[in-house]
Amino acid sequence: MSVTAVVGTQKGAFVLRGDADRERWTVSGPLFKGWKVTAALKTAAGKVILATASDVYGAALHQADSVDGKFTQIADGPRYEDGGPRKLEQIWRIAESGGRLWCGVAEAGLFTSDDAGASWQPVPGLNDHPTGAAWQPGAGGLCLHSLVFDPANDRRVWCGISAVGVFRSDDAGETWTPKNEGVPIIIEDESHKDVGFCVHALAPDPDDANRIWRQDHLGMFRTTDGGERWERIENGLSSGFGFPLAIDRATKTLFAVPLESDEYRVPPGGKLRVYRSRDGGDSWQACGAGLPDIGWTGVLRRAVAADQRDPGGVIFGTTSGSLHASRDLGDSWTTIEATLPRILFVEAID
Amino acid sequence: MATVTVELPSLLAPIVDGARSIALEADTLRGALDGLLERHPELGVHLFDESGGFRQHVLCFHNETMTRWMKSLEVPVGDGDVIRIHQAVSGG
Repeated sequence: MSVTAVVGTQKGAFVLRGDADRERWTVSGPLFKGWKVTAALKTAAGKVILATASDVYGAALHQADSVDGKFTQIADGPRYEDGGPRKLEQIWRIAESGGRLWCGVAEAGLFTSDDAGASWQPVPGLNDHPTGAAWQPGAGGLCLHSLVFDPANDRRVWCGISAVGVFRSDDAGETWTPKNEGVPIIIEDESHKDVGFCVHALAPDPDDANRIWRQDHLGMFRTTDGGERWERIENGLSSGFGFPLAIDRATKTLFAVPLESDEYRVPPGGKLRVYRSRDGGDSWQACGAGLPDIGWTGVLRRAVAADQRDPGGVIFGTTSGSLHASRDLGDSWTTIEATLPRILFVEAID
Repeated sequence: MATVTVELPSLLAPIVDGARSIALEADTLRGALDGLLERHPELGVHLFDESGGFRQHVLCFHNETMTRWMKSLEVPVGDGDVIRIHQAVSGG
């Protein structure tokens, strides 16, 4: 079963295609040469949306009928109010639920579109949250990078902001409540004690939205009650610190890439290893057969993607531009021949 | 009205179908920039931030004069004037 993924990098997007056996891979591109490509979505209607960003020229969304089609910039894209205090620096996440499109951005905030991406509106319940004055950026900026939806209840949404924490809305985004109990605080505010948590990534159980896994700055966690309480789950991990978290939906196998502390941010011992959990996070095992012996690199929070094929595959990219793929849920790995710019995300779209 | 040319950096050219220069008719520098955005609204987000001013690392020159040195964009333009958009080069 073939697979197509968008690989977003610091200097453009590349399209990765694996053949029916996921044995031979081709890399084409770049799309948007010179631009950071920071997020991608293939919508239920089949459109492909890419987010671009530039330290000089700002951020925008672009849409095409396919990843090989002509991309057109969305003129009425996400943007904070003119004359206001906030600036939209980067689009970190594009997602779709119940016919609505969502964008998570930096400076941290949410925007939605109910017209297939043609126009975007801010989500004031989050963007003007009462705790907003206490929101502090992490090393990657003040970014809203993670979105989780309840497939059984489209009014329930979770989002993750660095270094603020996880919020949940039970009313389709009207109001949001911090949900971080059980996770250590990292930046304590004088008055708002319910924010200051540095979530790095979220991965939901596709069949039970109350069960969400969380790679946090201060460890790996899991909730089984929709975020009311988080428990630490690091049995077998080489480090609790790391960024990405992905799930193969069919088998609920989890994938993480531990890094040595926030000071070093390199794989422990220079061994680039994906860690896998087949029991919902109760235990983790390293799986690195086929990965390079020397791996003093990093893997960013959205740079691991499960391809959702049968059997499940995983693709990840590194900050040094290498691409690696497994077609057997991490038992073995192939390094795809490509030396790309710093890889920001990998998104399997077909 | 005067006919002026707006020159764009290559990174922005794909947004305007590959054009590196665009001819416009305007009376003032502000009028020329307004005309540019009227014709290509997608450029707005790339040139200006939420403050309403040019982005921090976007430079705009009217002939040889940088707009940062101007008190206002309400300066007259003449036939053949060139408005150049550059990215500020900081360090290397």
